[in-house]
Amino acid sequence: MREHQPTVIAQTVVRIVVPIILLTAISLLLQGHNAPGGGFIAGVLTAAAFALVYIIYGLDYFETEILERTILPRALPGSPTAGDDEPRPAITKEFGEMLAIGLTLAAGSGLVAIALGYPFLTQAVLFVEHVPLYHELEFASALAFDLGVYFVVVGGLLTVLAVVGAE
Amino acid sequence: MLALPFVGAAAVPFVYRVLGERTAYVAALVAAACFGLVGYLTAGPTGLVSWQWIDAPGFTVTLSFYVDGLSLLVGFLASGIGVLIFTYSGGYMHDEPGKLKFYATLLAFMGSMLGVAFAADLVALFVFWELTSISSFILIGHYTGSESSQYAARKSMLITVAGGLFMLVGFLLLYTISPAVTDSGTATFLLVGPDSLTAHADGVRAALEAKGLFVPTLVLIGIGAAAKSAQVPLHIWLPNAMEAPTPVSAFLHSATMVKAGVYLVGRFRPLMGTEEWQLLFVVMGLVTMTIAAMLAVAASDIKELLAYSTASHLGLIIAGFGIVGAKAGTYGAETGAFHILNHAAFKAALFLVAGIVAHEAGTRMLDDLGGLWRDLPIAAGVAFVAALGMAGVPPFNGFYSKEFLFEATYELAHASGGLWWLLPVVAVFGSVFTFLYSIRFLMLFFGEKPDELGHVHTPPWTMRAPAVVLAIVAGIIGIGGILATVGVHIDPLEHFVQRVVDSASMHGGEAAAHGAEAATESHGFSYHLPTSPKPAAIMSAVTIGVGIVAYQFYGQLRDGIRWLRSIPVLSANWYYDSIVEGVDRSRLIESTIQTGLLRTYALALFLAVSVMTLAAYGATAVQLPAFTEFAVAVPMAIVLLVAVVSALAVTRAPSHIAGVLTLSILGFMVAIFYILSDAPDLALTQLLIETLVLVLFLLVLDKIPAFYGETRKLLLARDAVVSGIVGITVFLTVLVTTSANPSNRIANFFLDRGGVPGEHGAWILDHGGGANIVNVILVDFRAFDTMGEISVIAMAALSVITLIAMRERGETG
Repeated sequence: MREHQPTVIAQTVVRIVVPIILLTAISLLLQGHNAPGGGFIAGVLTAAAFALVYIIYGLDYFETEILERTILPRALPGSPTAGDDEPRPAITKEFGEMLAIGLTLAAGSGLVAIALGYPFLTQAVLFVEHVPLYHELEFASALAFDLGVYFVVVGGLLTVLAVVGAE
Repeated sequence: MLALPFVGAAAVPFVYRVLGERTAYVAALVAAACFGLVGYLTAGPTGLVSWQWIDAPGFTVTLSFYVDGLSLLVGFLASGIGVLIFTYSGGYMHDEPGKLKFYATLLAFMGSMLGVAFAADLVALFVFWELTSISSFILIGHYTGSESSQYAARKSMLITVAGGLFMLVGFLLLYTISPAVTDSGTATFLLVGPDSLTAHADGVRAALEAKGLFVPTLVLIGIGAAAKSAQVPLHIWLPNAMEAPTPVSAFLHSATMVKAGVYLVGRFRPLMGTEEWQLLFVVMGLVTMTIAAMLAVAASDIKELLAYSTASHLGLIIAGFGIVGAKAGTYGAETGAFHILNHAAFKAALFLVAGIVAHEAGTRMLDDLGGLWRDLPIAAGVAFVAALGMAGVPPFNGFYSKEFLFEATYELAHASGGLWWLLPVVAVFGSVFTFLYSIRFLMLFFGEKPDELGHVHTPPWTMRAPAVVLAIVAGIIGIGGILATVGVHIDPLEHFVQRVVDSASMHGGEAAAHGAEAATESHGFSYHLPTSPKPAAIMSAVTIGVGIVAYQFYGQLRDGIRWLRSIPVLSANWYYDSIVEGVDRSRLIESTIQTGLLRTYALALFLAVSVMTLAAYGATAVQLPAFTEFAVAVPMAIVLLVAVVSALAVTRAPSHIAGVLTLSILGFMVAIFYILSDAPDLALTQLLIETLVLVLFLLVLDKIPAFYGETRKLLLARDAVVSGIVGITVFLTVLVTTSANPSNRIANFFLDRGGVPGEHGAWILDHGGGANIVNVILVDFRAFDTMGEISVIAMAALSVITLIAMRERGETG
């Protein structure tokens, strides 16, 4: 797929743009409670940023350099698929872990409510007054839930992207 | 109590991880606990426990349990033999695969069997009944890799479950007539207990006969019982079921599951015992007894021999329960009840012996085995007691119950005359074969040891002990008979059997006959060696005499029966296989429906959804909103126009890449549409998703041909029609759903409560407290939905991995 080496221009642009996209994604995640944004959108945006890196620099760079992935073997140990003459793309373990972390976070934030005696997934908001610079800060427990959504979306999309892209 | 085995089954995986193969003993403990509880119930009174299970308007199902002699007997068998079997498995399953599944299923089976035994209403009975079929299916198919194992499991499942469905129809027929007979006047599934069907047995019979439903109901229930208890011609699954590990054969296919059918017959006997009943079950029982005994003689494998003999003895029990009416005295019920107990004792013992032989000698072929008593003295002793009991040789236990059968058939023939005289003759004829194969089994242990049989090692004590216990039980029953002859009775045993007999007795004539008998004797039920040459004693003598003579010609007899069996028209297996093959032809349809092409499935799916939606609109006669005003702002109009144009362009796109790119124009236009309609969240999401989808599409497109092939006009037309229908459906749906404009909108509810309150307290708990209402809905009001959605995302990602990345890991790889 990569007969043509991407141009220097493209590579440089990606270098500059990707951090900006990621920053935007995080700000979307954080401001989601009161302004347009939220875990889902932030997750998709993050995935889009990684997709950009992936297209320009290639899958291996993307996975080994940025994510320090752990490669899971394609075949079960001992199964008769010996003779790996064709290097098969591996499944990245971190993506799966990200899914797990996200689901745990989301469910866990709901369980906290149960532990405190409220129905599952009850959210709370805490206003802290007189904070320097911000004057007033709003902490929403929904942020934890949103973070869970974010992780699941990123993990899921990256998995799809890596697996489909590797084909 | 019923829950205990199921809880145990659920716990097996955890226990197994800790204990490994010692799980068997834990399971045995569970079984022992059940046994104890059944024992506790014995002490208690006969009674009914029930609670509401399904409580829908107009249809209530009560899950009720009833304790009486018959249910206690089966309960004792299931749990008692369960204890022994689990202990035995500890030794037998030592190096077999799949122990975890094995123990879990076996426990679940025991639970369902107890359920069958104690269920008082038809629904509960049916549910547990089918549960036993399913667990039996899993256990027979234990060696999942083996072809014959799969065949056997499928066969038993097909036959027993099909039989169960017949039975269900019979139950429903009973249910429909029940309002007319119960005191309360409502329909009931309750089989036994106060105000139940059995309590109004005469009324039920009359009501059924009035509608001409009696014989159909009887036959339907009979088929269910016959399928479960392996009666001719539905006996064919039982020999195949011997593919299962031996403990399973001993437990399910000798002692308990096959007893379910017999139990059913015993349970319905008070309800439906009439002349028709007698005809059906006596004939079925005796025919089974004879044919299965003959087949057992022809068997070449020790487990096959035992399987056929099981079917044969079940036939005996069914025939016993089949004999009703005062004419035959009370021997009918006594035959059935007593033989259930006897048969369970000796047959389970024999199966365990067969397991020991197969395990230690390495073969199950009758011809290869012999002279084993030197190596397996204990097993030989067990086999001696059990096989002679099976043969019906005095003074072993099987003799007494067989004596009751002879007595009953004789009395019946004596009273009815005519063709009924065939019954005692057939009974003797069948018993001769029973005698033959029992002796053949015993001969495994005597005579010369074949040279090719290598060293036979001694089995572990866990395998010997259960067999010995069963043999002792069988022996005690036998000794009881000897003692009774000289006037000493084993009271607890006789009382218990009496209780069983009572619960299976007719309420009318038989009870009266019983009363008379009970008045003259100290207790109702007793058994003893014949002291005077009564007809039954003569019949037994004839059986044994002929048997001894015929045994000399065992080889010729066996070959003769094998020759008969090989004629396809005479073999029930031939019919079964033909039918199954016939049904398999339906695979032809597969090639047209299951094409494996995604587009076929998508086509069917979309078409079905659209047609059903349209039909629903038609059926409810929805009103289309009237177009009142049609004013669109200029920017909006431009955006929509571009969208429509790009949609049209997609259909004209010359290549995939062009198509995808045009499609994404449409997507971006929709995003702009959202911006114009003041929905920034939606717009953001739409934009991002559109971008990602575009990237993914381009990645995938690399793999598929760049240009469309030549498409046939007909296919094109079909696709156009389907797309048209889908489009119309979506259009209508949008129109209809948006036209509904209730005053009390849910959006207002969210808006009122979701936003940041003007007054900032410390904590806000009940409501969102965020300015972005979309997000507040997502993470607070509808957080549960979101939770489900992210789970779906995770699942989808895992599916992608499984489908694409791991496709080489599977079985086909």
